Amino acid sequence: MIRIAAVGDVHVDKDVLGRFRPALEELPGHADALLIAGDLTRHGTVDEARCFATEFGGLGVPVVVVLGNHDHQSDQQARVTEVLTDSGITVLEGDATVLELNGHRLGIAGVKGFGGGFAGACASNFGEREMKEFVGTTEVIAARLEEALKSVQCDALVALTHYAPVPDTLLGEPLEIYAFLGCYQLGRAIDAAPTALALHGHAHHGSERGRTPGGVPVRNVAHPVIKQAYNIYQLLSETVDTELIST
Amino acid sequence: MSTQLDEYLEAEIQSLLTDGRVAELGITVNRREHLLVLGGEVESTHRRDEICRQINQRFPDVQIVCDIGIIRASAPSEVEEIS
Ligand SMILES: [Fe+2]
Ligand SMILES: [Fe+2]
Repeated sequence: MIRIAAVGDVHVDKDVLGRFRPALEELPGHADALLIAGDLTRHGTVDEARCFATEFGGLGVPVVVVLGNHDHQSDQQARVTEVLTDSGITVLEGDATVLELNGHRLGIAGVKGFGGGFAGACASNFGEREMKEFVGTTEVIAARLEEALKSVQCDALVALTHYAPVPDTLLGEPLEIYAFLGCYQLGRAIDAAPTALALHGHAHHGSERGRTPGGVPVRNVAHPVIKQAYNIYQLLSETVDTELIST
Repeated sequence: MSTQLDEYLEAEIQSLLTDGRVAELGITVNRREHLLVLGGEVESTHRRDEICRQINQRFPDVQIVCDIGIIRASAPSEVEEIS
């Protein structure tokens, strides 16, 4: 059995320091790792990245993150990544990591992702250069996720993105902005590998649960959606655990 | 001339909250009679107060009601089994 804690969109700046810490101090007693689905900071500055590392680092469990659009706001994503990495936090962008937890191998592949929309209401790689660049970016990022997911040898595989891979978890957001909240290409990448769980953030007004067309469970862990410091998900349950939970 | 409560004002407020120090993309702005009601949730009281301060400063003759909440950050009490 593996238990992973997850949250996204914590948007840390000085004013948030200490708000998550009491709940995070309890985390190692409840979960084996913490995954964070982007929008770690408010404007993506180096100072904010340091605040994030102070609040979410040094927990005694592995912390794996992807960046979000807010973390790109100051065009400092390389420096932000460096600050986080120096603090022992794993930052994924088109790559994967494997954690050995309780004798199991947990594989995590991550990308920020991008917009574009979903079946029946999506942008096409056609027309003006700006439009082709927009959809082209989506396609490149999704291809990198697929490759990262397929590269991992593990017992349980998790996809970590900031943008949403399905429209299910956007329920509650205005339909008009779905195309800026996620894209079907991420869902297709997730379905192309034996993914056990897909985690994302970004949709602050969305809803928690969905599934890809291929049947992979999707969870929107944006902090305004889950309304607690983190959620905990159990993977690779042994029969005995299942019985305990279902009685 | 007093500020008109219309869609352009809503758009201006959204862009003020997005472009400036606040960086909040999820604040809702609803017109109710002569009032503007701000909704949504943010990560700190400091951020909520800053949003109201900035809007008051830019649109001093608009009456604002702030219904913005602070997102709870307590530890969870349940585990979800994924199968
Ligand atoms: Fe966010
Ligand atoms: Fe975001």
